[in-house]
Amino acid sequence: MSQTLPAWSEPFSADHRAALRRLAPLGDVAAIDRSWAFGTGDGDGAVVAIVDSGVEGDHPAVAGRLRASVRVELDGDRASVVPDEAVDAVGHGTACAGIILGRAPQAELLSIRVLGADNRGKGLAFATGLEWAIGQGASIVNLSLSSRSEALYATLHDLVDRAYFANVLLVCAANNVAVASYPSLFAGVVSVAAHDVRDPDVWFYNPRPPVEFGAYGLDVEVAWKDGGRIVATGNSFAAPHIAGHAARIRTAHPGATPFEVKAILAATATPPV
Amino acid sequence: MTGEPGSHDEPAPDDGLIPTLHAVALRVEAARRLAPAAGTAVLRSIVEATVVLFGAEAASIALHDPATDRLVFEVAAGERGEGVVGLAIDASQGVAGYAFSTGQPLALSDVARDARFGRATAEQTGYVPRSLIAVPLVDDEGVLGVLEVLDKRGDGGFDLHDIELATVFARQATVAIRSSRIERDTASLLRAVLLAADAVGPAGGDTAALDAIIATEIRTMDADSDDPLWALADQIALLRATDPGQLELVRDLLAVLVRRADHGRSSRGRG
Repeated sequence: MSQTLPAWSEPFSADHRAALRRLAPLGDVAAIDRSWAFGTGDGDGAVVAIVDSGVEGDHPAVAGRLRASVRVELDGDRASVVPDEAVDAVGHGTACAGIILGRAPQAELLSIRVLGADNRGKGLAFATGLEWAIGQGASIVNLSLSSRSEALYATLHDLVDRAYFANVLLVCAANNVAVASYPSLFAGVVSVAAHDVRDPDVWFYNPRPPVEFGAYGLDVEVAWKDGGRIVATGNSFAAPHIAGHAARIRTAHPGATPFEVKAILAATATPPV
Repeated sequence: MTGEPGSHDEPAPDDGLIPTLHAVALRVEAARRLAPAAGTAVLRSIVEATVVLFGAEAASIALHDPATDRLVFEVAAGERGEGVVGLAIDASQGVAGYAFSTGQPLALSDVARDARFGRATAEQTGYVPRSLIAVPLVDDEGVLGVLEVLDKRGDGGFDLHDIELATVFARQATVAIRSSRIERDTASLLRAVLLAADAVGPAGGDTAALDAIIATEIRTMDADSDDPLWALADQIALLRATDPGQLELVRDLLAVLVRRADHGRSSRGRG
């Protein structure tokens, strides 16, 4: 066996440390407040992937920001990602898109449809769609759904780690139901439930996880299917609010890593009382 | 069975096993015919309690039918909700389909404001709701279906507390459905019998062989045969559904019949 340093220590050794310099460090931070966190960040340069029921490309709320639409096709236990029309089987994905663009109007969206007659929300479709989004280098992935499949536990855990190290931020709606669901329960994602304040700029940080953030998810006026609008409630509408705020942070601080974005969200959360 | 190609080293399954399996299967099938009303009764009581506690216009439970991949509305409460029973919708469409496919609860208000939303479906039921909650029926083994609550009385729509409350009811419904299905799952029971009997030769836990035996047994069970056992089971099920208080009487009658049958057998010298 080699007696050299283990690989993890090498980057920190004196003759390798120069490579640790970052292109765009967070810089001087006198105070982490919302004006520092957001600056003029409007989502420009951020690609937000929405893994959901599809996004209606010609909905006014989507405003032409949808860059691509794909869906996951299942053939037995093989899954593939194929181009899809910019339609929404339910309205939910479009609602999320509208919420994200409401916070970060210059963000670009990717729609990955994992719900519908041809894949019916199967865990494999979900994992495949998430993997594709990470591979596309999306800045943020909005997951308003989770998988209960124990068989996918390891796969999803691995994907969450992969996203983290690929600088991709995963924002997951917490599952209301008291059963394990992945990846919303994993530490490596930003998990979001709904609070009861009707204000998109109010979010809370919970120091006692597993659900770490509370955002606007009660009576949210959202875009819906067929160019419509509706008023909706649920954790799955709180998550895109955080995703939208995260997109603004990533615009203002392009070098921020996922854990830094999470820390900034926590630091700039609304005081609870 | 020995000497057949491909079976060289493995002894044949015990000859007494198949009749045993048959007897077990008959009992399970009879139990299944006796049980169904109980399952629906629990679901009905849940939707009725849901309507009362929410002060809602209607509540319903739809269960997933894997064969057709549709959600079929099984029970409903509230006068205006009755029309939905029997309706089958695509498991990936609409709000119910979303809750089912994702395991995420969802509440919508001002539904009537959007002309397109669910109108086609709701019109089949003669009722277009103003607001609704769809909550998945889910446990560790998966999603069974959806609980819907329509039109909470009063001005407000459904709020987060309502979603939590609906989730509690959904959990009760899921437990009830799951336990009644376990009783009626003939394949699981047969498999348990086989494993316990350790009957599949040295192959022991060979699940492929187990599955083959179970599949054969299920195919040979003719649930619609005119064996008087089925007729009797059906009559008892009907009685239990309509008047559970009469079951004691039925049990006493059956005990008498069994004693007489035993008497008859032994007096005829049947071996």
